[in-house]
Amino acid sequence: MDRVGSVAVLEDDLTLVFSALADPTRRAILEHLARGDATVSQLAQPFAMSQQAISKHLKVLEKARLITRSRTGQARPCALDTAHLDTAVEWIARHRKVWADRHDRLDAHLAALREGAR
Amino acid sequence: MSGTGELTYKRVHQAPPELLFDCMTSAEHLAHFWGPTGTTTPVENITVDLRPGGAFETTMVNDADGSTYTMRAVYVEVRRPDLLVWIEPGVEGGMRTSITFTDLGDGRTEVTTHQTNVPEAYLSAQARAGFQTSLDRFDAYLARITS
Repeated sequence: MDRVGSVAVLEDDLTLVFSALADPTRRAILEHLARGDATVSQLAQPFAMSQQAISKHLKVLEKARLITRSRTGQARPCALDTAHLDTAVEWIARHRKVWADRHDRLDAHLAALREGAR
Repeated sequence: MSGTGELTYKRVHQAPPELLFDCMTSAEHLAHFWGPTGTTTPVENITVDLRPGGAFETTMVNDADGSTYTMRAVYVEVRRPDLLVWIEPGVEGGMRTSITFTDLGDGRTEVTTHQTNVPEAYLSAQARAGFQTSLDRFDAYLARITS
C-alpha cells in the first residue's frame, strides 16, 4: 500500500511538471532561467507580455517546483530547479525502456520463428 | 486543440510487415515479448479483439513476486499490415499508441511507435491538465538545458 501511495504522489508531481511544461511561454521562461537567474521584469521583456501575465506563469512553474524564488529583497529573482525536470526525464526514460525491452524480445521471438521455419 | 504530447520510438526488425503486424496482434505471439523485462504475460492473460472498438488487454505478471499489472486498451484503427492504433483511456492521462509498419523493401520493416495523449473527448478534466506537452520536444529541450 505504501508503494502504491508513493507512486500516486509521484504521478501527481509528474502531472504538475508536464502540465507546467505544456505551455510554450513557460518552456521559454525555463530556457531563459537555464542561462541564469532573472527577475520578473527581466523575464517579461522578451515576451511582450505584462509582468502580471508572466507572474501567473511563474506561479505554475513554482507549483510544479521547476523554479524557486528567493525571498530576499524586492526583486525576488527566479532560479531554475532541475530536480523535478529529472523526475520527468526519468519517466520518459522508463517509458522508452519498456518499448526497447519489448522490441528486444520481439527480435528474439522473430529469430526463434526463423529457426522453427528452417 | 490537438493533443500534442508525444513520444516516438523507432525500431527496425528483420521481418516482413505482415509478420510484425501479426506479432503485435496475436496473443500467441504477444506472450513471447509483451510485458517489460522482469514480467511475463501468459497467453491466457491476453485479450485481442482485433477490430476498431475491440478490446486489447494484457495482464502482465511480475516474475519476482507474482503481482500483476493490467493494461486496458481499445483498438481504434486496424489496417494490416501498415497501421495499428489503440487507446488506453485510463493510463497516464489517457494515451494513444499508434504503430506504423514500414516495409524497407529488403526484408526489413521499420516499426514506429508514436504515442500521444488521446483526443479531448476521452480525457477527464484532471487528465486534460496534464501531458499536453510534446515529450519529444521536451527531450530535446532538456538535453539543451542540462548539457
